[in-house]
Amino acid sequence: MKKHITRIYMGLILFLMYAPILTLIVLSFNSSKTRAKWGGFTGKWYIALFQNDDIMQAFYNTLIIAMLAAAIATVLGTMAAIGMNSMKRRYRTIFTGVTNIPMLNGEIVMGISLMLLFIIARVNLGFSTILMSHITFNIPYVILSVMPKLKQTKKSTYEAALDLGASPVYAFFKVVFPDIMPGVLSGFLLSFTMSLDDFVITYFTKGPGVDTLSTKIYSEVRKGIKPEMYALSTLLFVTVLFLLILINMNPSDKKHAIQQAKELERLAAGGKKHRITKKLIWGRIVPILLLIIITGGGFYYGNRNKSSAGDQVIVYNWGEYIDPKVLDIFEEETGIKVIYEEFETNEIMYPKIQSGAIAYDLVCPSDYMINKMLQNDLLAKIDWDNVPNAVNIGETYYDKSKEFDPTNEYSVPYCWGTLGIVYNKTMVDEPVDSWEILWDSKYKNNILMQDSVRDAFSVSLKSMGYSTNSTNIAQLDEAQKLLVAQKPLVQAYVVDQMRDKMIGGEAALGVTFSGELLFMQRENPDLDFVLPKEGGNVWIDSWVIPKNAQHKENAEKFLNFLCRPDIALMNFDYITYATPNTVARDMIEDPEVRDNPILFPNDSQLKNCETFKYLGSEVEEICAKLWREVKSS
Amino acid sequence: MSHKLLDLINISKSYDDQMILDEMNLYIRENEFLTLLGPSGCGKTTTLRILGGFETPDSGRVMFDGKDITNAPPNKRALNTVFQKYALFTHMTIAENIAFGLKIKGRSKAYIDDKIKYALKLVNLEGYEKRSPALLSGGQQQRIAIARAIVNEPKVLLLDEPLGALDLKLRQDMQYELIRLKNELGITFIYVTHDQEEALTMSDTIVVMNQGYIQQIGTPEDIYNEPENAFVADFIGDSNIVDGIMIEDRLVEILGAKFECVDIGFGTNKPVDVVIRPEDIDLVPVSRGTITGRVTHLIFKGVHYEMEVQANGYEWLVHSTDMVPVGQEVGLHVDPFDIQIMNKPESEDEEAVGIEE
Repeated sequence: MKKHITRIYMGLILFLMYAPILTLIVLSFNSSKTRAKWGGFTGKWYIALFQNDDIMQAFYNTLIIAMLAAAIATVLGTMAAIGMNSMKRRYRTIFTGVTNIPMLNGEIVMGISLMLLFIIARVNLGFSTILMSHITFNIPYVILSVMPKLKQTKKSTYEAALDLGASPVYAFFKVVFPDIMPGVLSGFLLSFTMSLDDFVITYFTKGPGVDTLSTKIYSEVRKGIKPEMYALSTLLFVTVLFLLILINMNPSDKKHAIQQAKELERLAAGGKKHRITKKLIWGRIVPILLLIIITGGGFYYGNRNKSSAGDQVIVYNWGEYIDPKVLDIFEEETGIKVIYEEFETNEIMYPKIQSGAIAYDLVCPSDYMINKMLQNDLLAKIDWDNVPNAVNIGETYYDKSKEFDPTNEYSVPYCWGTLGIVYNKTMVDEPVDSWEILWDSKYKNNILMQDSVRDAFSVSLKSMGYSTNSTNIAQLDEAQKLLVAQKPLVQAYVVDQMRDKMIGGEAALGVTFSGELLFMQRENPDLDFVLPKEGGNVWIDSWVIPKNAQHKENAEKFLNFLCRPDIALMNFDYITYATPNTVARDMIEDPEVRDNPILFPNDSQLKNCETFKYLGSEVEEICAKLWREVKSS
Repeated sequence: MSHKLLDLINISKSYDDQMILDEMNLYIRENEFLTLLGPSGCGKTTTLRILGGFETPDSGRVMFDGKDITNAPPNKRALNTVFQKYALFTHMTIAENIAFGLKIKGRSKAYIDDKIKYALKLVNLEGYEKRSPALLSGGQQQRIAIARAIVNEPKVLLLDEPLGALDLKLRQDMQYELIRLKNELGITFIYVTHDQEEALTMSDTIVVMNQGYIQQIGTPEDIYNEPENAFVADFIGDSNIVDGIMIEDRLVEILGAKFECVDIGFGTNKPVDVVIRPEDIDLVPVSRGTITGRVTHLIFKGVHYEMEVQANGYEWLVHSTDMVPVGQEVGLHVDPFDIQIMNKPESEDEEAVGIEE
């Protein structure tokens, strides 16, 4: 009886621990794209994974970083352990403590401090900074696994080797090293594993265009989870599992040692041939293979990055906010390599630019954020001679831009639209024309809100008839109360996942941008969009060049390229957000799209709408605080 | 046996302000079996480590065959060491262990194979080439350690308590083995032990050490029969050490009774230490004894009986093949040449003073 209970308990614990991963693995073989239903067994996501160039590049980066970091950390860590082992007891204790701290220290602290160090030392964030960081956090793990082996090693065997005429170096490699080998090996494997699945430190120390699997998965998942990511995560899990099993097969116990001794005897007695093959495999073939993989990979990587070392432009844009083919065409036409990074919200983007950790060349913030960047002197003036195509942008949009870029010297409009409500006609019966519907308890758990301060507040401010740019604290407080009251009805606060959820019919109502409609309708014709009668926010996302850009001319070349009507049209087709490029708009063939009142609302529709303005740091902080309270209420 | 092969001159060594060796002088002749004997912490192992090159003395010189090797590293000395805990290389076979030193010297494969065979035969472990050291008994491991050292044909073999980890029977077997080896190989052995029996059995010369000082150097017989001070007497074998007064040459008063002895030159009415070995006390009828006592303890030891006899206020330790029951009165008699007279140390410090040759 007791035995049964312990078994059931064990089973329950194991189930709870592994259920999430099991789900992931099962989903990675699900041929249906949605999580909701099982569409049969398939391996296509794995195939798609291996055909995706970006992911393979990230995969390769991960491998080479893990391999190099583990190898270098193993050498350094082993040397450190040997040094520490021969110290006097008191110093050894101190040093052991000091080297243990990084393991216990929060990863995020380590990540931020490394990033700061690199910025202060003016090291460009990129492949090498990730590598250095990984080496740094791996060394303690190597020391941790080598130290106990060294303590077990009898000093007399080393002395015996010296006594028999060996030089200290020869004695170390012939006698001490074989003894500590299991520790060194498990240190290497441990480092490799840690490096393989590190996210936090990599995230802080990586530069634009360099991704490891974990940061790649993170940036992909933000946009909506693709089944390929399940496959990738499954592979990562299986690899780490395999490595951990290898580490735990560590031959440290006595039983194993005797077994090994017997094995040694058997090999020595039972025929030299077997022994020679074994020696050949471990002594020659394996190291040579590893060497080939690393150097081969290094060359491959080096070649891939050679172009980037030369002419490049580093672009920082919203997720899914450009047709990937556009990048290829630009690279082909100009030979300039585009290093492309994505952000999720203006608020995430801003500190990256402000800290100067990465020198982006071209960024696409929204109106109010451009205003803020301008006020904080972060932007460079655009040399209009280099962007002749800028004339393709309609005059009205430059006029509107004056609200945040008064002299029209710093920004070129890219997309624009309004904030409204997308709804599923099959799930909402009544006509939707007001923000009020978002407070209707009928739709409890069927409402999706934007996970962004300004958008959320603009919904509740406008519903009460206030300005979206209100700096009146009383009004903001009121707006916050309204959002708190709404929270129980809200299914989730999302950004990029809005698309997936609305298309999948997971929610009835969602606060989103007008431009989303075309894309969503293609996938799910039941969806429609309304600009509520109280009005909302009309926004413009524009290209700007940060002051610390290192390839300003390339940035202008790329900007000019984006303003070319054919390219702007390609992007419109892909993004489906309204384009301010009037020449491109005229080229749209389908009149229903070209004159779509939702995509391109006229001035009378927009009469109640406002553009966001920068509210000043004080009000901004108050808003951020109020918003935090909403989300944690 | 005249050539000075190794010479330690004024060697001092201390760890963390603790004096281990103080101005030690010692030489070792070629082909000698010399044993450093003493309790733990007496400096014997440190002496051996200085010879092996694992420690550098704070001052003093180590001369080998007339050359100064004080600062030469271990791998540049024509000495080989057999360590206390064997220190075999467990990831190698026995053949590889033995071949280790020869390979470094760059000997030919045929030469090495010959040597391995020869060495294994010498230590009675023929056919063990391909075994792993981890699977051997302690005695076998120790013999491999010796084989590994001697194939290098060292001029001197240093042995650091090599039999310490073995059981009694094996230890005795190995003692004979070592004597045989030494005779066959004709090399100098320097042996460290705290076991006086081991030292007496094997050595040509014994160096008794205590607290960093040499107490006495001599043949096993000298050391046993004529200990130069109470420490040596107490450390080597069982002894009765009692206070005495040298009345005149050849007459000593012990616990109020006068004994004849053979020692001269101590002066008159001088306090001395007297050493009498337990087997040198004869139990005789009361009428014939110099002093009279009563047996208080009796233990049968196999070869002899061990008794304690209370006489004149002292508990005498007596070994005898005759049994005297507890409680019986007996007379004690000692032949004059069995009484060993020693000067009393003049101060506390002198109890462990070094006696130069």
